[in-house]
Amino acid sequence: MTMTTHILTRAWIILVALSLIAAAVSLGLPTRLAAPAILLLALLKARIILSDYLDLKSAPPWQRGFTLTLTLFCLTLLGLYLAA
Amino acid sequence: MSQTHSLNPPGTPPGELMMWVLIISELLVFGAGLLAFMGVRLTDPSGFAEAQSHLHRTGAALNTGVLVTSGYLAARALIWRKALARTKARLALIAAAALGIVFLIIEGAEYADKAAQGIAWDTHPFFTFYYLLTGFHAAHVVAGIALLLLVAWRDDPNNIEASAQFWHMVDLVWVLLFPVIYLLG
Repeated sequence: MTMTTHILTRAWIILVALSLIAAAVSLGLPTRLAAPAILLLALLKARIILSDYLDLKSAPPWQRGFTLTLTLFCLTLLGLYLAA
Repeated sequence: MSQTHSLNPPGTPPGELMMWVLIISELLVFGAGLLAFMGVRLTDPSGFAEAQSHLHRTGAALNTGVLVTSGYLAARALIWRKALARTKARLALIAAAALGIVFLIIEGAEYADKAAQGIAWDTHPFFTFYYLLTGFHAAHVVAGIALLLLVAWRDDPNNIEASAQFWHMVDLVWVLLFPVIYLLG
């Protein structure tokens, strides 16, 4: 297995694991408590897709820009959720 | 996919810049939709929670696994094509497209279930956003499947790269859309 293939396979395994964790968290906790974890897991999944599937790890400034924007986006979603 | 992008200057994103313009544009559109969804939810949080209880979380969670697996296959296809393993690449692209069809079948089953319950787009504002956002995403899945099958046939590496990037964008949108629509009740 080449290094690139290894990175992709690891990314896929982590993405599946994070999806399972998100489902477990949403079922096991009251949604208001689970919301920050659910959004954090979504942010982590998005970052892995950008970094490894879309290979933005080869362009660190772009990766930082996406990470910052998506973090602010998820924080805004969390704020709107908790404001209700 | 790192080894497939060695021609890109350091610090620039892999692939065609126009694909990144498309990816950013799509993220902005779906992001605006999700923010609007959460904004409207402020006016009726209990109604949104009740409406959300009609959704199939398990099926949607399964669809997340289906899409990230499909994305993995699309990424592997590009590596195989660059290594001149064209048959493997074509099979991976076809498998990725097949998983896209699985995604649509699961989502179609959920739509059918809603219809059987008498739930339509105008039943509640929640469902207006639900059908708008998931339907628009499904339209991208259909386009992505067509692209994957097209590049499985016309397997130029640049074409495969662009199609895989489009498919990863569809994947990326789903991992942001799924928790907001299905989990944050």
